[in-house]
Amino acid sequence: MTKEKFIADLQEQLELASALTADTNIKELEEWDSMGAMVLIAYVNENFGVGLNAQDIKEISTIKSLIEKIGVDKFD
Amino acid sequence: MINSNKNYLITGCSSGIGKALTLSLLNSGSNVFGISRDNLKVQEIIEEYPDNFFFKSVDLGAPLDLGNAVEEFVAKYGKFNGMVYCAGKEETLPLSMYTPAKLAELFNINFNSLFEIFRLVSRKKSCEDMSSFVFLSSVMGELGQAGKTGYCATKAAILGLVKAAALEFSSRKIRVNAISPGIVDTPMAQQLFTLIDDSNKQAIIDMHPLGIGKTEDIVPLITFLLSDDSRWITGQNIKIDGGYSVK
Repeated sequence: MTKEKFIADLQEQLELASALTADTNIKELEEWDSMGAMVLIAYVNENFGVGLNAQDIKEISTIKSLIEKIGVDKFD
Repeated sequence: MINSNKNYLITGCSSGIGKALTLSLLNSGSNVFGISRDNLKVQEIIEEYPDNFFFKSVDLGAPLDLGNAVEEFVAKYGKFNGMVYCAGKEETLPLSMYTPAKLAELFNINFNSLFEIFRLVSRKKSCEDMSSFVFLSSVMGELGQAGKTGYCATKAAILGLVKAAALEFSSRKIRVNAISPGIVDTPMAQQLFTLIDDSNKQAIIDMHPLGIGKTEDIVPLITFLLSDDSRWITGQNIKIDGGYSVK
């Protein structure tokens, strides 16, 4: 999956009103809450086989940091 | 409360509550038809009870195929005196992330396979009158929690089945009950705890006034429900949750 598709998919899954970019701090989004975290964990697990835990969620901020957490090598 | 020389089918016999129950029943002299997906985890039980433990590896998340296993068990040991469905999958997944396939798999493990095994075992040719069926629901069968839509639905389905089936089988004095545990320290709970941070984990523990449970807290209730001492109890959902549901 390309990073662009990942970002677009995430925007769709999180039902965000504003556009996501690699520099968006996901935790500053109005829509970010515990359900958003659950959606994110499920989406990443299903598409990358990576199980993000609570500590991982605590550590991420921007979409770029999320991509690094998942593993840059997992993207096209 | 003795369950010796009886025949029981137990699903989820390789870990957690199902394993503790299986060992308890085998120790008391009963024969057990154990079902789980993982046959490596039950090798010790097979070796320790070669004559009393009948095992079949089954993926309960797929449409159920038991082959002739029920008939084989009955031919070898006689009719069943009861069944306990312990297998289950805890799943935290927002509603928006479900697909029909994901929901089908969860329902297969937590409900559809239960329903089908119950149907096969409860036939007159397969089980004695006055048998007892115990199905593991959860406090989540009556309560709700964000991210647990699928899990709560499967556990609530068990409660509906229990009430209707208790009436359907009453003429044979066959009893059907559910138990609804809170969080019990099992591999399933440990898996849940790896996904949440320490503060949330402590919050869950604090929701159980008597602390989270152990498998040995649950097994005596099940063996009581299997025994004749509970002969006037049917169609019930018995909560065993350290006080979780009264807070």
